[in-house]
Amino acid sequence: MTKELQTKEKLPPGDFGIWIIVYVELITFGLLFVGYAFARRLDVALFNESQLLLDTRFGFVNTLILVTSSYFVVKALESIKIKAKKEASALASKWLLFAMGLGLVFIVNKIIEFSQKSAQGIDLSTNTFFMFYILLTAFHFLHMILGVVILFNVRQNTKRGAYSYENYLGMQTGAIYWHLIDLLWIVLFAVIYIIR
Amino acid sequence: MNFKVWIILLFLTCLTFVIGYFNYVNAAFVAIILVTVMIKVQLIIDYFMELKNVTYGYRFIPTLWLLVVITLIAIAYYF
Repeated sequence: MTKELQTKEKLPPGDFGIWIIVYVELITFGLLFVGYAFARRLDVALFNESQLLLDTRFGFVNTLILVTSSYFVVKALESIKIKAKKEASALASKWLLFAMGLGLVFIVNKIIEFSQKSAQGIDLSTNTFFMFYILLTAFHFLHMILGVVILFNVRQNTKRGAYSYENYLGMQTGAIYWHLIDLLWIVLFAVIYIIR
Repeated sequence: MNFKVWIILLFLTCLTFVIGYFNYVNAAFVAIILVTVMIKVQLIIDYFMELKNVTYGYRFIPTLWLLVVITLIAIAYYF
């Protein structure tokens, strides 16, 4: 037990500032998830009927995409810890490219889904369910765009050899943000698309 | 371990999708879905965000968030 306590890190990985952002985002999204759940109680039938208009497959594919891209970011971090710097940068850069590519596929999927809903005449004023659906997914969508921009910058830094096995704080910080987006989507998918 | 976590996340996502897609969702399955969400999020917190080896204070904050949010969603659903 004592041995285990001694090996625990005192501070979380990445720049400490990212954890402040993580906590603020968790609170913001948490309030929206709980707000949705209690709004649903007021008109369960409306929420269930409206939810049937969503295509669960979009949510499902996007969850698989995000979970996998998160894993690729983990692989990038594992790669940068290799001592041979050139090899580490090349490998990490490759994993980041895959992760970024999947992030872009998520964004395209979401644009298609939004377009379909728009073509069906659905917008923020349709009803309370769609107000929450659009608010939550669009808010998450903006985070995705920022996440891809962050991954792009981290990859550029990786390619020019800014990170090594001794210094990968920037990559770790970007990774934490990407995992946050993944984590929030996992809750969103279950709450908005599945639970009825 | 990270590879195993990824596979578990994929498996639980497929399970959630199957329950939803084939309209199996009822009170009992909602409990299963909420438990799978808790497992998935905690795995991401512990392994992908690497909080497993950090002092309990920092690990506890997102876990507490998860517990509160899932509990409130369950209360809104069941009561």
